[in-house]
Amino acid sequence: MRAVLARRRLRSAIILVAPAFVVYTVVVIYPLVASLWGSLLDWNGLTSGRFIALDNFANLFRDPYLPRVVGAFTHNVLWFVGIMVIQNVGGMLIAYLLYTRRGRMGFFQSAFFLPAILSPILVGALWRIILAPEGPLNSVLGNLGVASGPIAWLGDNNLALPCLVLVDAWNWVGLPLLVFLAGFNDIPPEIMESAKLEGASASKALLSIGLPLVMPSIAIVSILTFINAFNQFDIVYIMEGPEGNPGHSTDVLGTLFYQLAFGTQGASGLTEIGIALALATVLMLLLAAGTVVGLRTLGQRIVEF
Amino acid sequence: MVQRFRNLGVWAVLLGYTGVVAVPLYLMLVSSVKTTRQIYSEPLSPPSSLSLDNFANAWQQAHFSTYFVNSVIVTVASVVLILVLSVAASFPMSRYRQRWLSVLLMFFLLGLMLPVRLGIVQLFILFRDIDQLDKLTGLILIYVGIRIPFAVFVISSFMRTIPREMEEAARIDGASEWQVLRHIFVPLVRPALAIVAIFSAIAVWNDFFFPLIFIYSDELKTMPLGLATFMGQYRSDWGLLFAGLTISSVPLVVLYLFTSRQVRQGIATGGLR
Repeated sequence: MRAVLARRRLRSAIILVAPAFVVYTVVVIYPLVASLWGSLLDWNGLTSGRFIALDNFANLFRDPYLPRVVGAFTHNVLWFVGIMVIQNVGGMLIAYLLYTRRGRMGFFQSAFFLPAILSPILVGALWRIILAPEGPLNSVLGNLGVASGPIAWLGDNNLALPCLVLVDAWNWVGLPLLVFLAGFNDIPPEIMESAKLEGASASKALLSIGLPLVMPSIAIVSILTFINAFNQFDIVYIMEGPEGNPGHSTDVLGTLFYQLAFGTQGASGLTEIGIALALATVLMLLLAAGTVVGLRTLGQRIVEF
Repeated sequence: MVQRFRNLGVWAVLLGYTGVVAVPLYLMLVSSVKTTRQIYSEPLSPPSSLSLDNFANAWQQAHFSTYFVNSVIVTVASVVLILVLSVAASFPMSRYRQRWLSVLLMFFLLGLMLPVRLGIVQLFILFRDIDQLDKLTGLILIYVGIRIPFAVFVISSFMRTIPREMEEAARIDGASEWQVLRHIFVPLVRPALAIVAIFSAIAVWNDFFFPLIFIYSDELKTMPLGLATFMGQYRSDWGLLFAGLTISSVPLVVLYLFTSRQVRQGIATGGLR
């Protein structure tokens, strides 16, 4: 009887898990494993050839690719730092304000999260028009007499990347906000009350009590920010094109990978597959390393507190 | 007195940031019923007359009706398949106490951390070989595969909290595994299904990267890809562009109006992205 039941269970388990397992393996696992392997092969268009070990990697870190890789990597790093400072610190301050009010404040939570449900393509397209030389922002600044002439927000080498980072922050600030708010709400109210009774100011209470206690939320948000910063693609593509205009000043590793793999003309012009796969492998290792380091260091901090 | 000023400061920050969120969206809405000339001259003023020409043009000339229908088909089909496959897989992995099933669960959860887009070249070659390029079915297959880890994560965590008594009682009454899943677990995990459905719908509806690479026919494009095409074609017709942006934001904003509490709770309880 037992054995019959066990066999029945085994059979139903296999039948129930199989469809999800097959689709997930085919769409997610197989392509990633094949990409890692493919980065060690010689490629001619979409056809792979013989095993060439690390030659693709050697070529990736040599002219003409090296300057593009370094540039794109630098922009990803700046993107990460920018989002950490602007979006995450801003999100935390707003979350703290909402937390100290105690009231439901559901309206503000919903309003601030609203842009996060819109696609980065839509948000990027919207801001591309707003920031256009004759666009609404310059028009308003001109009417106020603030700017003497139209500012080329997206056409200036020094302004373009910060603008894109700000647009990304506008899109996603609701996410850290809600995570931090949940973190603050998990703090036992007595702790904050006693701090207040002892005369700690709101800012002091945030820094010395709130911050350490929301370390788990900070860890989650930092790791997510890292992953998202190094996965940037949509906003750059829609606002500055796949080449990361002007003059590659907004190029990121995602757009560089896309260009190497698919050319700038979309799926038809396939080029440099070997180099693209080498870049994908480097990026995978970078993301894995960053995530592990993030979990380790921030995870330890969590235990300490 | 100090307290009152502090309160004022808090309200100023909250209302100020509400403005930062609202003004661009307001601009999108009012501009969609203005002519390009009006947008140039007085961007922030309310429209002098309500003309829906931009919407009609975006919908018909700019093929937004096609993109919209494609996005609806892809989103609905993907969400349904994600739910069915993930509920089925989560049931044995969270309820049967067997080692290989826990290992399998870890294998699924690994997908939460993987940079799926970086496998795109090999996925492209595979889909070329199985004839799934430039097809909505190919796109649906991709979304189902990509979203399964998140769905399994949410649903199996939820299933694990359900007490054993109910299922044991049903088994003693002679119910098959399928009946236990269908009549006991599916109704009980409904809140988890809602969260998975909402988050998957948003992710699929908004995705740009996969259609960019897998779809080339204009009549098969989904909204975000259609929007990108549209940005290139109607570069100077801002009224039309804003109408297109408004059309593509409406379905999600409506969804959000009804589900913003679940969305916020989902995020707060770790249902990120």
